[in-house]
Amino acid sequence: MKAILSLIVLTLATTVTSFAQNRGDVLIKNATIMTAARGTLEGTDILIRDGKISRIGKGLSAGANAKIIDATGKVVTPGIIDAHSHTMLSAINEGSLAVTSMTDVREMLDPSDVSIYRALAGGVTSALLLHGSANPIGGQSATVKFKWGRPAADYPIPGALPGIKFALGENVKQSSRSIQPGQTFRYPRTRMGTVEVIRDAFRRARDYKQEWDDFRAKKTKVPPRVNEELQPLVEVLEGKRMVHCHGYRSDEHLNILKIADEFGFKIGTLQHALEAYKFAPEIAKHGAGVSIFADSWSYKLEAYDSIPYNAYLLWKNGVLVSINSDSDERMRRLNLDAAKTMKYGGVPEEDALKMITINPAKQLGIDKHTGSIEQGKDADIVVWNMHPFSPYSHAEITMIEGEVFFDRAQDKINRTLIAKEREELEKLDVNRAPGAGGSQPARPAERRIKERDEADLERIGGNR
Amino acid sequence: MKLKLVLYAFAAIGMLSGISLFGQSYAVTNAKIVTVSGATIERGTVVVRNGLIESVAADAKVPADAQVFDGTGLTVYPGFVDALSNLGLAPRPTPAPGQGGPGGGGGAAAAAAAAAQAQPSNSNYPAGLRPEEATIDDVRSGEAQFEAVRNAGFTTALSTGRTGIFTGQSVLIDLAGENVSDMTLRTPVAMHIAFATIPGRYPGSLLGTFSALRQMFNDAKRHDQLLKMYATDPRGMVRPAADKSLEALIPVVNGEMPVIFVANRENEIVRALDLAKEYNLKAIIAGGQESAKFTQRLKSQNVPVLLSLNFPKRTASASPDADPEPMDTLRFRAETPKVAGKLAAAGVKFAFQSGGAASINDFVANAVKATENGLSKDAAVRAMTLSPAEIFGVSDRTGSIERGKIANLTVVKGDLFGMQKTVTHVFVDGKLFEPKPPEATAGRGPGGRRGEGGGANPSALPNVAGTYSINIQAPGQALTGTLNLTQQGGQLTGTMVTELGTTQLKDGRVTQNGFSFAGSVVFGGQAIDFTVQATIAGNQFTGTVDSPQGAIPITGTKTP
Repeated sequence: MKAILSLIVLTLATTVTSFAQNRGDVLIKNATIMTAARGTLEGTDILIRDGKISRIGKGLSAGANAKIIDATGKVVTPGIIDAHSHTMLSAINEGSLAVTSMTDVREMLDPSDVSIYRALAGGVTSALLLHGSANPIGGQSATVKFKWGRPAADYPIPGALPGIKFALGENVKQSSRSIQPGQTFRYPRTRMGTVEVIRDAFRRARDYKQEWDDFRAKKTKVPPRVNEELQPLVEVLEGKRMVHCHGYRSDEHLNILKIADEFGFKIGTLQHALEAYKFAPEIAKHGAGVSIFADSWSYKLEAYDSIPYNAYLLWKNGVLVSINSDSDERMRRLNLDAAKTMKYGGVPEEDALKMITINPAKQLGIDKHTGSIEQGKDADIVVWNMHPFSPYSHAEITMIEGEVFFDRAQDKINRTLIAKEREELEKLDVNRAPGAGGSQPARPAERRIKERDEADLERIGGNR
Repeated sequence: MKLKLVLYAFAAIGMLSGISLFGQSYAVTNAKIVTVSGATIERGTVVVRNGLIESVAADAKVPADAQVFDGTGLTVYPGFVDALSNLGLAPRPTPAPGQGGPGGGGGAAAAAAAAAQAQPSNSNYPAGLRPEEATIDDVRSGEAQFEAVRNAGFTTALSTGRTGIFTGQSVLIDLAGENVSDMTLRTPVAMHIAFATIPGRYPGSLLGTFSALRQMFNDAKRHDQLLKMYATDPRGMVRPAADKSLEALIPVVNGEMPVIFVANRENEIVRALDLAKEYNLKAIIAGGQESAKFTQRLKSQNVPVLLSLNFPKRTASASPDADPEPMDTLRFRAETPKVAGKLAAAGVKFAFQSGGAASINDFVANAVKATENGLSKDAAVRAMTLSPAEIFGVSDRTGSIERGKIANLTVVKGDLFGMQKTVTHVFVDGKLFEPKPPEATAGRGPGGRRGEGGGANPSALPNVAGTYSINIQAPGQALTGTLNLTQQGGQLTGTMVTELGTTQLKDGRVTQNGFSFAGSVVFGGQAIDFTVQATIAGNQFTGTVDSPQGAIPITGTKTP
């Protein structure tokens, strides 16, 4: 019995290794390729070498050792990029203070979160992992590729522009709604307080930068503190860190654009921005991107003015739009959310696809390497069984830099193997429940901790 | 023979009250001696005098004045070390009777009491984030508190506090001596960091814990720099603040004082190792239940592990309609006993620790389990003797049986790794303790087991049996459920049912004004052992749930 088990484990292990070591050539043959750059190519091949897209064309050939994927009748797209996610994070919100720019979600990466694998199964290869929305200025973000099975250190994309989460509105001003007896409410409690906190933080950051400039110019003798809170804001002022600003109401998002203009930096993305359609020209003028839901509304007071034509109107005004999930569950269906922009307003097919590929790549500063199928880019590629905008579509193979991280056929095999492994594991004494009998059903821990399906209804503050 | 020994021991204790114990000499002859530092002596003699090992050899001379024990069939080990514990610290405060009577508020009172226990401080940092706090200040004098642990063969323990991010600079104590100065082997041994939070303020999340630590490390480095600048030339320079918290961190950021990170799971270990690397800290991993996945990193960063012997096991039965347990959890439980063997094979230095287990007996039992899962018996003994001494920088004076070292010895009858074994003698700092043989079976019947506190009369005990609806004030989420208590004399059995499942009560006792029991729940895929102490008033009780995660208030009301 034990032998069988170890055999199973061995098989699993080799399967995984063969994925991980598969850096040889890959040839995807005879596919319909939605490039998200130069339209759709029929009956075309992609040659992948050293993790990059080496050639795109008809009738390509590869070496004898190349892995051949016959994509006849299948559709190939770039890997989907989710510009707003909190997946694989051990903690999301540091709600105790109004400014928590010293926190960094890169330290919270949990590569064992099965949501990563599920995202791959939905064709997602990259994501922007954000701090929660409990603070006017939240924590530093992480731009990752979902290299499932690898250690946390392999996830962040080298060279991606660093980011930071800002937030406005309800979540911020209500963040101490669940205070303990004896605790005081956290400032700010109003939208105007929120603006003040952000402006104040940037003034402090400016002073801090001055302190260091003076020290470096030898005008002062005593070295200033290395301030973990203000350092990232100095980076924002210097254009080295992007601001991703959660907000709903147009007046508030206009305010943040004004503050950015005042301090001379650019907002990377307005997140959620359900009212962005009301001031699309102003957004285009500032040059901010907008990352929205396709068609969510009315789930909170701030979301009442949301319309499904938001993406279309922004697109029409030349704004860089992406569709995001903010949810471990909806992350797996971003292809369908993109399709909705065709229904509501009639965004052209390629532009709809761009909203979940090259547009978010641009918003995250990773578009030189991923987000479209072009020669020289990373081979972050999804093979779909049919057009990904069909509700009957599913991803068959998801690869990152030419390595297969999800393979639907392999997954079926793995399921039986895992079921057998489970059976063996459950027989062990340590895994057997003492005594018989039952109690009320335990609430599954995963759902309790990661209840994030309703957009931005994350529990704010507290221990998260 | 045995009677004679006991008499001697009594006589010794009687004579020695108030005077030094030194002078008394003991010899264990004809015993197998596992020196750990050198070869095992199959049949030899250990002589103890003045608290030190006077001689150890196959043919060591027995002094004329020595009290001699025939060690035939006995094995002498260096005294066992628990490499991380809370030994010597007061148990969690239980609410005084009268507090939180009928009308509730008991939970709040207990929480307030716990908060009040935080010592007054002039630190600029909140309680929990004060690296200057030293555990030795909280250690209680008196050796009676260590009886159970000593009886299990332990002579030495590293101790730190239970709460906070900085849980207190640790102290290495010998488990004998009437005052703290006598007990102390070394202090401070290390800075201790738990990835905890300070609920209700910054850092209130794991995110904040890391940024707060990072800021403090930055500030400590700068503080060191400023102090040096000021010492060289104070003129024209604003004097650096007298910040004892930052001062306490200076040896840490300079890599002089080790930092013990509590890190069991993969993510925690990675985070601890990353932080240590970034700030060049002399790190030690405590817990280390998944440390076998990082043997390469541990070796290259030269990080030892204080490996927890509190192996996870499933303790609660979920209902038939609950989701199956995650594979991660099932694999984790199966893998934990193999970790020690893997660390040893990879050459990672490690020592065993109790890991907050409810019973010290789990320590040796699980060390044995480790030997059944790939660890050699020699390595197992080393991990509870010489290795911890090396890690804590005291291997020149303890941890092995060598001439001139501290006489910390554990004498075992039978095979330490077998089923039949008894600890017969324990020498702590040369002082002899003879564990009483366990009373005939942990009694099920009447009169089998005495109540706590020196034979409480069962008839004077309250009747606590019944069903209680309970409320546990876990941080962030209150747990509710029921507690079913069945009382037989001073003994208590039953179940505790909460959202986390059903727990069978262990070691249940009725006390003069309440009850106590131990149990275990699975939370976040890990078994958490806890103990409950409760005071009963009318049909309500208030108390505390004590676990490695901290103390939280529990209240209950009897359902008619």
